[in-house]
Amino acid sequence: MEQENGSGGAQSGSGGAQGCSGMGGIDLKVLKRILKFMDESGLVELDVEAEGVKVRLRKAGAGVSPSVPVDAFPVQQVGAASTAPAASATAPAPVPVRSDIAVVKAPMVGTFYRSPAPTSPPFVNVGDIVKEGQTMCILEAMKLMNEIKAEKAGKVATILVENGQPVEFDQVLFELEPAGA
Amino acid sequence: MFRKVLVANRGEIALRVIRGCREMGIKTVAVHSTADSDSLHVRFADEAVCIGGPTGAQSYLNIPAIISAAEITDAEAIHPGYGFLSENAHFAEVCESCKIAFIGPTAEAIRAMGDKIAAKRLMRKVGVPVIPGSEGPVADEKEAVKIARGIGYPVLIKAAAGGGGRGMRVAHTDVSLSGAFMTARAEAEAAFGNPEVYLEKYFGEPRHVEIQVMGDRHGNVVHLNERDCTIQRRHQKLIEEAPCPVLTPDVRRRMGESAVKVASAVRYSNAGTIEFLLDRDHKFYFMEMNTRLQVEHGVTEMALGLDLLKTQLRSAAGEKLSLPKGPLEFRGHCIECRINAEDPRNNFAPSPGRILALNLPGGPGIRVDTHIYGEYRVPQYYDSLLAKLMAHGKDRAEAIARMRRALEEFVIEGIKTNIGFQREVMDSDVFQKGVYSTRFLEHFRLSEV
Repeated sequence: MEQENGSGGAQSGSGGAQGCSGMGGIDLKVLKRILKFMDESGLVELDVEAEGVKVRLRKAGAGVSPSVPVDAFPVQQVGAASTAPAASATAPAPVPVRSDIAVVKAPMVGTFYRSPAPTSPPFVNVGDIVKEGQTMCILEAMKLMNEIKAEKAGKVATILVENGQPVEFDQVLFELEPAGA
Repeated sequence: MFRKVLVANRGEIALRVIRGCREMGIKTVAVHSTADSDSLHVRFADEAVCIGGPTGAQSYLNIPAIISAAEITDAEAIHPGYGFLSENAHFAEVCESCKIAFIGPTAEAIRAMGDKIAAKRLMRKVGVPVIPGSEGPVADEKEAVKIARGIGYPVLIKAAAGGGGRGMRVAHTDVSLSGAFMTARAEAEAAFGNPEVYLEKYFGEPRHVEIQVMGDRHGNVVHLNERDCTIQRRHQKLIEEAPCPVLTPDVRRRMGESAVKVASAVRYSNAGTIEFLLDRDHKFYFMEMNTRLQVEHGVTEMALGLDLLKTQLRSAAGEKLSLPKGPLEFRGHCIECRINAEDPRNNFAPSPGRILALNLPGGPGIRVDTHIYGEYRVPQYYDSLLAKLMAHGKDRAEAIARMRRALEEFVIEGIKTNIGFQREVMDSDVFQKGVYSTRFLEHFRLSEV
């Protein structure tokens, strides 16, 4: 006998155990323990088969807006749009918490380099004071090295990308705080 | 076959490319402007790269940004969609020099057909009928009358620098031509900064019938029958269908052969469309060739049971065409209605904004190619195409019945659309009879409701 319960297991409380009592072969207590296990382990989908009985439990997609059919084409893999960790080139730009933070954004698509050459020291480090017009990094695009300059003077507070990382247009590269800070 | 393809486009065609790639196990990269960050093609692709600001020049026409995006994602091929860079020979060349496959024809083929005067010359050379007219700009009234008598009245005086249907005048006699000639030159100078005009035979009630062609890199070219795109508004297609309701098998065969002649003359590979003008006596004349996949390609897909996108990918990857070389049989009839974000009651003014409610039609024989979703904000920077609604039936009557039903089911709230307008066209006697010309919509009046 096969029973399927896709309505979100532990998320929806009693919903997970519906339809099992009286069907024979499934102990409600065992099922509740399985649901608890799913919740604790963070599993999204679990197939259990024992003595000719199969149970499939699947959590409803959490955090997916119902108006966008994202679950039809789950975006996965490293480097995927907006679901990958911040190290990927396509992460949305983080919003600076302080209002006096200035950002340096990528004016083009390319590969980010911190130094003029692999063996040279970086243009800037965290804590450096930069002048307006000072070169902060290089963006390589189509075999051309483009120097990215600071539009305003300031002190380098954060460097948000790693050497050699691909970056997209408008991606935040540096956060600068006021030079006096 | 490619492992990763970058889609250099947006909206529904970007989704179309992504879907074809997914079905073939090919990874996809979406590029987008800042205005399209929430677009569906961005969400559906495996990877996405923001390439610039909202305008076309900053983003979808930005060659360095697109090539850069392909390089940082290691995309092996670029599909240019339609519009934007799809018929930009320079872009095709840049792709080639960067060792990125351009999913389309060669730069030479794009260039050969992009020059409209040179293309016509080539047509004459290979024996494909062209619209009779002057070879180039007409110097004065005397020459105009001489040419007009040669091609036969009525004639159309067209501004060489004009386009989109602007700067054209019709003349029926020597006298009216002489008078109109000087006025046309003055108007052309004022509107386009160039007084040069040329002459063409004027067809009062033409149909627009185009032939889909497909070629591979091994010199094989086939045609995939026709699409009728006669229903247009200001030279923008609104409704397309296959087969053409008035074409006989003999004319179809001859148009197909001409189309293959044209494509072979430029050693064409990948998808292309040759546009013809069909006069009332069913004589056809070459107008131009579009060296890209067209908006209405889905009509051919449904009417013939093909997947043109996948064929494009295979052709670009160097595979031999596996399409049958003999005449293709239509499977039933397919009609497409373009759904645009515009207000038919306000002179079709564009209507960008947020879609508050959406219901897409479905059921038998219905295909909807669209990038819109509930709560989607239609941006003001790009064209107004929201969706392509296709209805397929065993014959034209059933296709129309299904289209009428689907248009009733199609709900888009929050912005103005031409859904109601398309319904009235579908309901009209003239459309249902299938006999009309490109001037059909000039005299079409919306109901007062």
